[in-house]
Amino acid sequence: MLLQQIITGISIGGIYALLATGYSLIYSLLDFSNWSHGEFAMIGAYVAIVFSNILGTPFLIAAVMGVIGGAAISFLSERFAYRRIRSNGAPNMFLMIAAMGLSNVFQQAANLIFTGQYRSYSFKLPVSTIKIGQAYIGVLDLISLGITAVILVVLIYLINKTKFGLDVRAIACNQKAARVLGIRVDQSIATVFLLAGSLAGTAGILYGMKYNVFPTMGNVGLKAFIASVIGGLGSVPGAIVGAVLLGVLETLVSAYISSSLRDFFSFALLIVLLLVKPSGLFGVDVQDKA
Amino acid sequence: MKKALALLLAMVMVFALAACGQQAAAPAAAPAAAPAGDAAPAAAPAGEEVIKIGYVSDLTGGTALWGNAGKYGAEMAVDEINAAGGVLGGKKLQLVAMDGKGEAADSVNALRKLITDEGIVAEIGTNFSSCNIPMAAVADEMKVPIIGTAASNELVTVDENGKLHPYSFRMCFIDSYLGTVMGTYATKNLGLTKAALFTVAGNTNSESVGAFVKDAFIANGGTIVSEEQCQEADVDFRAQLAKIKAAEPEVIFVMMNDYAKNATFAKQAREMGIDCLLMGHDGWDSQQLAAEAQGALEGCKYVSRIGFSKPEAKEFGEKVAAKYNIGMEAECLFGWDGVHWIVDAIERAGSADPTAIRDALEATDVFEGLIGTLVMDPATHNPAMACAIYECHGDAFEYVETVEAVQ
Repeated sequence: MLLQQIITGISIGGIYALLATGYSLIYSLLDFSNWSHGEFAMIGAYVAIVFSNILGTPFLIAAVMGVIGGAAISFLSERFAYRRIRSNGAPNMFLMIAAMGLSNVFQQAANLIFTGQYRSYSFKLPVSTIKIGQAYIGVLDLISLGITAVILVVLIYLINKTKFGLDVRAIACNQKAARVLGIRVDQSIATVFLLAGSLAGTAGILYGMKYNVFPTMGNVGLKAFIASVIGGLGSVPGAIVGAVLLGVLETLVSAYISSSLRDFFSFALLIVLLLVKPSGLFGVDVQDKA
Repeated sequence: MKKALALLLAMVMVFALAACGQQAAAPAAAPAAAPAGDAAPAAAPAGEEVIKIGYVSDLTGGTALWGNAGKYGAEMAVDEINAAGGVLGGKKLQLVAMDGKGEAADSVNALRKLITDEGIVAEIGTNFSSCNIPMAAVADEMKVPIIGTAASNELVTVDENGKLHPYSFRMCFIDSYLGTVMGTYATKNLGLTKAALFTVAGNTNSESVGAFVKDAFIANGGTIVSEEQCQEADVDFRAQLAKIKAAEPEVIFVMMNDYAKNATFAKQAREMGIDCLLMGHDGWDSQQLAAEAQGALEGCKYVSRIGFSKPEAKEFGEKVAAKYNIGMEAECLFGWDGVHWIVDAIERAGSADPTAIRDALEATDVFEGLIGTLVMDPATHNPAMACAIYECHGDAFEYVETVEAVQ
């Protein structure tokens, strides 16, 4: 049963990871937690619903549109809200408050447009499962984990091996110096928002396929935030490890202690970690973010 | 400055337009709403002695669909009884409907008005516990019996101290009754002995129905091998399912009220290699559930009201739907049954005095209505009722059988 619980935990953690990396990327650049990040996932999921269920486009195209939708809303949030606040020279706290406001607006808007009802994609994978020893893993879970893994590997490659990644790391390290050295800071930040938004959109669609689409599904972003803190805010590999750890921890608490205490343990872990090791497991210091 | 002025002007215009639009819309809506408060069309000719029955429900608000369906059902019953010669050897019935808007205060006012101004001898409605709980106190005070339709909270007929509201009755079973039926059916009819129970923590309906399932299952010789809970917002149940699986139950009682979550639960259970029977209560009652579960619920069952599964009920529902141009709403059955139950009480009492009607209602053993066979409990005024079992085949749940009322 332990093996089964760990598999379940990893599959939950995979979704957290897609979102947590987005938190980390944005935190590394702008030093603020983008609270509306979970809503980008929700919007991506709804865009895919509109395409696949209402317009009747093939699911793959709908999913791509969902990813684009998540990226677009993330990009637009940056362009019309965060960038203005930044260029006004306002403290980072303002960015966070704006993000909270956006999160609320998006959630309420989804509620008004789509109502609170759970929706599922008209495209469905058959319910099937693979047996590993005594444990089972759903085919949808395997596919979703596979997609997540590929995306995260590509992301880490992008950050560490490309010109774009170098720019992002430079900005994370010192925005002013990066600007002086000729790095297009605003453009890079916009690109990071596009990237984070598309990761969120992907997470939203995978989450929607597993658990249905509903206006408050973006609340999962809070868990992803915890995961990114556990891993060390600003560290992409840390966010991934933190996400998987959190997924497994939650499943084990639900299984062996009580499902009502699950969130208690997640948040307790967050508080303990902030007290004991505020830089997170991957302890990246300021020089080395992203 | 100019810009601001222009903006202000534009806003004023928008508001003015919006206001005009509303005014224009208002008269159109009014005639539709007006008859609601007036005496119903089933008025008897002047000069004859009439017996007035009140009806309170939401006739204009967001749930007016049900309120009106109930009214239509009651109107048809009154018309038919009058056409067949009335009650007590020729007296005519009259239905007086009043809008309670689905709100407690409005419903209480409507009931008072019906009793003092119209002199009703008994009242039918509402379909909401939140309205019928305060109405029960008024009924006791003014000594006129009221019959709730779908008001299923325990406090509708019995107060917090367990004391009976003598003038408050109902035609539906209470929330927890289905639990007793489910537990009994699983043991006696299906011969199951090992069950797991899955409820939503903090959800009164889920937990109370679940507790009654458990009691009935154990009382009939079964064992509950696993009890698990989830939180209201949860969508992943696999941690709990792994534990349930280890306990090897023959059936899992799944007490969740959202079809999408029930479908997710079933799919996750099958993905984890759990192939036992899943059973649910009326929270499973949804057109979408079977298809949404993608075969994961094949052969699984739930217990709920008989509703339109009964041919007479279906026929009547279709008649109401055709006459009043509405969809098939089970509430019309309650309206019809309410009138017939009151008439039955009047005939047995030999009088249309409200207290005599109350006594006769309480003395009812069994009332055969369109919604089913109501077995009355004089101590609580809660009916026990035969329920229907529905089973999943392909993309739909089908009615399989009726189980008799259990006490």
